[in-house]
Amino acid sequence: MPLTQSGSVPGARFVDPSILARIGNLDLLARTVVDGFINGLHRAPYFGASIDFAEHRGYVAGDDIRRVDWRLFARTDRFYVKQYEADTNTNFCVLLDVSKSMGFKSREVSKLEYASYLAACLAYLAHRQRDRVGIITFDSEVVTHVPPSAKHFNILLHTLDRAKAARPGQLADPVKKLAEHFHRRSVLVLISDFYEDPDVVLEAIKPLKFLGNELIVFHILDPAEVDFSYDDASSFEDLESGEQLPVVPESFGDEYRKLIAGHVNTLSTKFSEHRIDYTLVNTKEPLDRALFGYLSAREKLMRVR
Amino acid sequence: MSFLTPLFLAGLAAISIPILIHLIQRERKRVVQFPSLMFLQRIPYHSVRRRRIRHWLLLAMRVTAIALIVFAFARPFFQQGALAAAAAGGGAREVVILLDRSASMGYGDHWDRARDAARRVVGGLSADDRATLVLFGRNAEENMRATSDRARLLAAISAASVGSDATRFGPALKLAESILSRSTLQRREAVLISDFQKIGWGSAEDARLSEGMTLTTESVASPDATNLSVPSVTFARSAFASQERIAVTAGVTNRADQPARDVPVTLAIDGREIETKRLTIAPRSSASVTFAPFTAEANARGTVRAGVDPLPADNAFNFVVAPSAPISVAIVENGDRTGASFFLTRALAIGTTPAFAVDVVSVGRATPAVLDKRAVLILNDTQFPSVAGGAALKGFVERGGGVLVVAGERSSWPTDAADLLPGKLGAPVDRLSGRSATLGYLDYSHPIFEIFKAPRSGDFSSAHIFGYRAIEADPMSRVLARYDDGAVAMAERRAGAGRVIVWTSTLDDSWTDFATKPVFLPLVHQLVRYLARYEPTTAWMTVGQVVDLASTAAQIRGDRFVVTPAGQRTTQRVGSSGLVELDEQGFYEVRPAGATTGRPQTLAVNIDPSEADLTPLDPSELVAAVTGRATQAAEAAVAPTPLSPADAERRQALWWYLLLAGLALLAAETVISNRLSQKEKFL
Repeated sequence: MPLTQSGSVPGARFVDPSILARIGNLDLLARTVVDGFINGLHRAPYFGASIDFAEHRGYVAGDDIRRVDWRLFARTDRFYVKQYEADTNTNFCVLLDVSKSMGFKSREVSKLEYASYLAACLAYLAHRQRDRVGIITFDSEVVTHVPPSAKHFNILLHTLDRAKAARPGQLADPVKKLAEHFHRRSVLVLISDFYEDPDVVLEAIKPLKFLGNELIVFHILDPAEVDFSYDDASSFEDLESGEQLPVVPESFGDEYRKLIAGHVNTLSTKFSEHRIDYTLVNTKEPLDRALFGYLSAREKLMRVR
Repeated sequence: MSFLTPLFLAGLAAISIPILIHLIQRERKRVVQFPSLMFLQRIPYHSVRRRRIRHWLLLAMRVTAIALIVFAFARPFFQQGALAAAAAGGGAREVVILLDRSASMGYGDHWDRARDAARRVVGGLSADDRATLVLFGRNAEENMRATSDRARLLAAISAASVGSDATRFGPALKLAESILSRSTLQRREAVLISDFQKIGWGSAEDARLSEGMTLTTESVASPDATNLSVPSVTFARSAFASQERIAVTAGVTNRADQPARDVPVTLAIDGREIETKRLTIAPRSSASVTFAPFTAEANARGTVRAGVDPLPADNAFNFVVAPSAPISVAIVENGDRTGASFFLTRALAIGTTPAFAVDVVSVGRATPAVLDKRAVLILNDTQFPSVAGGAALKGFVERGGGVLVVAGERSSWPTDAADLLPGKLGAPVDRLSGRSATLGYLDYSHPIFEIFKAPRSGDFSSAHIFGYRAIEADPMSRVLARYDDGAVAMAERRAGAGRVIVWTSTLDDSWTDFATKPVFLPLVHQLVRYLARYEPTTAWMTVGQVVDLASTAAQIRGDRFVVTPAGQRTTQRVGSSGLVELDEQGFYEVRPAGATTGRPQTLAVNIDPSEADLTPLDPSELVAAVTGRATQAAEAAVAPTPLSPADAERRQALWWYLLLAGLALLAAETVISNRLSQKEKFL
């Protein structure tokens, strides 16, 4: 399998997304990426097996007596139940933007495909650590809803496989509806290209954080969107609205790059202000590199906790 | 520079089209799909627009081509060029010189000045120009066909002379229009040289020059022209010692603003001055003078002359006088009762023009000479005089005599002349019982009844007829009147040159009261005039009239020749048309061919009296009426006028070059833009 090497992460071997695109099976793709990626790490990223002790809590009626920590009872004369990490298994839900703009590609892989790989990989990681995985796709409304479950990994992959960027999108309405679904503390991964005003975006996704959910945001952009590497004057057509605009790239380029960089910066700043993990992902970058960046950030946070 | 249709310049707005295409359309030919225009839309558009024009040469070519085509449609021309073209002659001219030769042009030096003006027009012709000389009075004729030969034109002008015709501009202008419209030359002009008499132009004239033809006028009219004229004479006839004497009264008109004092007015008969009278005439009015009566011979030539002025032609008035010749009528009556012809003779005694010489004889006393030298024979309720005989009657009628048969109960008709009568006489019809007969139908188309045609011109229905002779009209005859029961009242038959008319009742009070009705007198006069084939003689005619000598000089049998006042002699053969156009003022003589002695038949001809009215017309009015333009292209022939914008534009034809240049630029632009687009690289 041809690999590309990147010097920014020593020891890591990254797989070119265009190569990944040839793997039809998302399961295999996720395994390939995640396993290869994990094998390269010095330290396991897992939060611990189910036998790892996590904490004590007071006994309540109905708890299994076998879980009572008798030693502690001896010392304190109170019943405490031992809790293990396995018991802290959480809901892991991917919120995937499938609006029409996500179908854009200037290379082999479209933003939606790239987002699907990323979602599959993250779901695989979560599934491996016994988290319940679910997925919600949306454009201007909710398209599919797979509730988090330990058995839903394959359905999730299937949903990702069938996802199509078909309709214009809008973040606020569907996200508001989604927020009502998460009654249990969850890890929410939002993947979108965020063609909205940063304030609107923030207002829309803030409710997702209310129930103690952990929100992780991936901002997917195509290299053409970032670099604006067009040469000839053309009519640019908005993928979602169909509106056309005469554009001379040589005169627009600098201005555009400034605007998109400003947009990314604003999003980044506003998300960090609200303690939301934000990662900008360029679809020309290897997938595992994006994962690595994400997991490093998670690890740092874990340590802080 | 000016434009013929400047509104087309609004099309210059189309120049913005290629600019817009350069700015917008180029980018639209490729569509690039992009996730969102969110950021692109925020970039100010104008900064983009300015920098989008990439092919300045193409843009310049497109803009220039459109501008050239728009200018071409606006039809530009140079005013300077138009003037120069006009001054330089700018194209050959077709000139029609309309030279007035009517009688009024004989006034003073009018004719000389008119010919000088014509010569100046000829002198202004360039080598390529052509001119036609048209002389006109009442009618117009091409004196010299279109030619560039100036010498011939000048000779024709010199040879032309004043005529005696009246002035009419209409025919001349129509002829000019027709000559000019046939011409292939670019500039077409008519030059009208005249004294512009007002009477020469009627508002109803439909002479009109077509578009592109100009009319130049050259007036030779004199201000304050003085003119005396004799427009007419009248005759008063009186009998004196068995001779007829004629008194001539002449009217004299003074058309000047000053009174004419002591004007000598002279009457001359056969060249001898009879009498001269002096007359004073107020300004712009007329006076009359009556000369002493004189005894005239047949065909005496008379002339009245009044004073001396610059236009002598209308100072003399010619006429022919002759003793009046009464119509000789013989009335043959039965003689068995007196007063049978009382009403007839009374009626015929009244006539003056013509007078009637009536002889009444009873049938028993009639001699064979009763028909001699008679114009009309009236058989008044009597049988035909046997001494005359049917054959003599037939001969009388065929030579041109007229017979009126008044068919009463005594009337009979010789069987050997039965075919002369319009029908066969039947038995008398008595209408005494019941309602009397009236005249129910009259043939108003017949010359006898023509004067009764107008409404209230004779009430025939008031006459009561109590008895009449039935007559069976044969198909060869013409029924002129019928009674209310449809029976024939009057019928006519022609035989040879003569006429026979039957009146089926009486002309006295025995069978009818018709003789006491007002229509009786005119009807009898009409009957006798018609039967005598009476034609009133005209004492004078007017220039321009045409006479048929076959009727006016009918007594000349065989060939005849006509001598005009100028002495020109033309011969008319027997059987040829006797039409002669009277185009000279004076006396025309008609003689039998070969005759040198004897008094010839004479026709007096005068100029049209209206020709004496020299009141001029404003030439610009005429130009406006003829060309439809109020401006007068004065002096066009002598000093060239600037061309009209349409002419100047047509001559310069700049639009053609502009259009070609525009199209050539568009073609070049197509080639260049194709090459450029092949090199163009796209995303």
